[in-house]
Amino acid sequence: MTTISRPRLIGPGINRVDGPLKVTGRAPYPNDFAYPGMVHAVLVRSTAGAGRITEIDTTAAERSPGVVSVLTHLNAGPLARGPMTPLGVSPPAPLQDDAILHYGQIVAVAVAETFEEATEAAYAVRVGYADEPAVLDLDDPRAKVRTNPWGRDADRGDVPVALAGAEVVVDETYLTVDNTNNPMGPLTTVARWEGDTLVVNNSTQWASLEGAALAAAFGIPEESVHVVAPYVGGGFGAGLRVWQHVVLAALAARVTGRPVKLVLTRPQMFTACGHRPKGRQRVRLGATREGALVAVQHEARTASAVDDDNFEPTASVSATAYACPNVITRDVQARLNVPVPNSMRGPGTATGNYALECAMDELAYRLGMDPLELRLRNDAAVHPPTGLPWSSRAHKECLERGAELFGWSRRTHEPRSMREDGLLVGYGLAAVGYPWFRARCSARATIRRDGTAYVCSAGTEIGNGAYTVLVQLSAEALGLDPGQVTFGLGDSTMPMAPQTGGSSLTGAVGSAAHEACRALVGAFTDLVADDGDSPLRGCTADDVEPADGALRRRDDPAVHESYRDILARHHRPDLSADGESTPLTADELGMAPAGAFGAKYVEVRVDPDLGRIRVARALSVIDGGRIVNEKTARSQIIGGTVGGIGMALFEETVSDPGSGRIANATLGDYIVPVNADIPDMQVEFAGSWDRANPVGTKGIGEIGLVGLAPAIANAVFHATGRRIRSLPITLDQLL
Amino acid sequence: MTLQAKPHAEESLPQTEFTLRVNGRDHPLRTDARLTLLDALHDRLGLTGTKKGCDQGTCGACTVHVDGRRVLSCLTLAAQCDEREIATVEGLGTEDELHPVQRAFLEHDAFQCGYCTPGQIMSALGLMAEGRAGSPDEIREYMSGNICRCGAYQNIVAAIRDVAGTEDGGRADDVPQAEGGRP
Ligand code: FES
Ligand code: FES
Repeated sequence: MTTISRPRLIGPGINRVDGPLKVTGRAPYPNDFAYPGMVHAVLVRSTAGAGRITEIDTTAAERSPGVVSVLTHLNAGPLARGPMTPLGVSPPAPLQDDAILHYGQIVAVAVAETFEEATEAAYAVRVGYADEPAVLDLDDPRAKVRTNPWGRDADRGDVPVALAGAEVVVDETYLTVDNTNNPMGPLTTVARWEGDTLVVNNSTQWASLEGAALAAAFGIPEESVHVVAPYVGGGFGAGLRVWQHVVLAALAARVTGRPVKLVLTRPQMFTACGHRPKGRQRVRLGATREGALVAVQHEARTASAVDDDNFEPTASVSATAYACPNVITRDVQARLNVPVPNSMRGPGTATGNYALECAMDELAYRLGMDPLELRLRNDAAVHPPTGLPWSSRAHKECLERGAELFGWSRRTHEPRSMREDGLLVGYGLAAVGYPWFRARCSARATIRRDGTAYVCSAGTEIGNGAYTVLVQLSAEALGLDPGQVTFGLGDSTMPMAPQTGGSSLTGAVGSAAHEACRALVGAFTDLVADDGDSPLRGCTADDVEPADGALRRRDDPAVHESYRDILARHHRPDLSADGESTPLTADELGMAPAGAFGAKYVEVRVDPDLGRIRVARALSVIDGGRIVNEKTARSQIIGGTVGGIGMALFEETVSDPGSGRIANATLGDYIVPVNADIPDMQVEFAGSWDRANPVGTKGIGEIGLVGLAPAIANAVFHATGRRIRSLPITLDQLL
Repeated sequence: MTLQAKPHAEESLPQTEFTLRVNGRDHPLRTDARLTLLDALHDRLGLTGTKKGCDQGTCGACTVHVDGRRVLSCLTLAAQCDEREIATVEGLGTEDELHPVQRAFLEHDAFQCGYCTPGQIMSALGLMAEGRAGSPDEIREYMSGNICRCGAYQNIVAAIRDVAGTEDGGRADDVPQAEGGRP
């Protein structure tokens, strides 16, 4: 564990270290890379929703100007499917047979000298299909069903008996729709072969997995794949898997012997790289008249693909949300002829929390109780399934502090009881938690002769502020100024890192970097162990602490020696050390490792005549453990809030009921929040250093989004008296 | 059976010759007439600061100035810009010497992944030149053509407020326009 003195809970909001590159347009995103002789690849997608390809005619496309190659299942050759991952199987290898599993499936790739020529050639590929009826409905009896897909179904106590005996019961069903991640940077792969080595610039949130999956696809050793992704134009989950287009860009590069650039078009972003799946949730809550929960039963049915998996534990949020002796959660997936769903910021949790927190609001109204009071009364002071103490939990503090900051006491309980400027005013709240997740991670730390440091790990920067907080954590562990530290990310040749997902990156890479820096301090004390000229002679790593570019004796801080002096005297250009962090289990810790907690408070204004809804204010109070950088952390939360407002009021991927064709696959038709949709958002941090993690942090990448949809739905009910149990909530539902 | 087809062009479209004047520098080009200004800047001239977010005119990531007006470079054919004054993010500050708007974006953390940022900055400059930066609400409205999926909107507004003047719709005469900016 840490031996450095513990810094403040909320770290200084230094500017992003990668900020100057980003504001000058000089940060290199995958589609900014170009190589001599590079050609362009454009995808052709299925216009059938299910069935088989009966003919595919590429003659015209091959004669099209500038064309270098046209790939289909007839000439792609065998490619292997990538490895099993913690998120499920890898996507199926592309272009392996004539089966059509969903509308928009990739059926060919046109490669040409220019993008314009490749686009023209792609249009010239003629494909005939034998259509079969597409299975698109969650309840279609033909759909294969997966029960308990993630082994997270909960069974605690005796729910049927408790529900039957409950004094007050809520039993409601909530619907959510497909949402699409749509990071601003279209997913891009620029692939080239240098001899037997495949080098890809790729939009990924998981460079280490990318290497393994591409190696598997082409049957080459993992060391022969080099993934480079120093900057990625967002992801929100879309970069968590090694998609078919990535493999196809690499294949096209091999076939043509030229570097290949493949940039997904915006419409292709709706079918090629995942989305939040639609779902239906039934929530039953039983309570005493005093508002103590006696039973929770939460069942969720969400969509999955025919031949692919996605990680979307939805109902399971109810297993840990509240102190309740009797709990059942059931997750079920229906396999449909749809593009594969995939993690989208807050996967499963955002939807599960939406249903639970709406149901809690309904329960509060049935009890005639303040919704805040109901949450406080059922606070899960210990981890409900195990009874273990949490590694940190300031959930009540978030709720209470939020109420104070928001002015919750001004709220009058009756729906439609608050008005201002001719508009209906509604206050809504949601309690939120995000599941803990952390994976093994490695890092390497180096100090150079000039006293500066370089630390690296294969994690990725996707807007999360990774470069910045990892520089801060490394600087702290080495006793340097942040300006003296550079952090390397986004390269599969760096020490292995897990995904930028599950709100886990800062904890994983931060801890690994911390261990590497600790080991580096040890390497310095080893170097001077027998050095008669060093004041630190004979010290072990535990005897010294890093400060001001030097190591100093703990027992006598006046005795110290700088890294520069040590390296110079030993004629070393630099000194490096590796570190690895492995998360401890609940058993090893004797406590339940906690994710972030929080409270979301929202004020909406609804036009009583037109039903127009506006979010007027949104407040998030977040227990994220130690906050390394207040500025970037705040941005994570407001960014999540914007996403949550989108989920609540705007976002819906609409597909044709017959074929599954997505009807609104542009950013003009798929509505995401723009600047004028967003009110002033307030963010406050609460809580304390998390005990499960050497650097004290908890992930906050996703909790910003979670809870907005129910808080807004509850506020709309408070404003209008209309309980809308589906998303997005639009004005037509209020008329 | 459904068919997906388009009658294919037997010959290449004729090449077009023109000169793009970007940030005060001339670039003679001979290209496919279908080339967009965005792809010309990004792929042909290597000015990769201008970003493609949608290629359909819906996101603002590709915003540049042409003759002092903000335009979506993905909806503009490069050949239409012969001899016109084009300004891109590369014509503003450098990492060591940021333009005031870039500095304000950095200080206010008005970006996350940074992908929409050059477009936001070019729009912000346009906004001030147009006198549309007089109040937070006005900024929100007139910056709404620039999507930021990371959701940095609030900080973008704060950054622009910081630089925009207080009178005349936020026109900030001391803020340098992009080179090749005003006609
Ligand atoms: S790329 Fe031009 S508006 Fe989106
Ligand atoms: S900073 Fe990522 S889209 Fe705006």
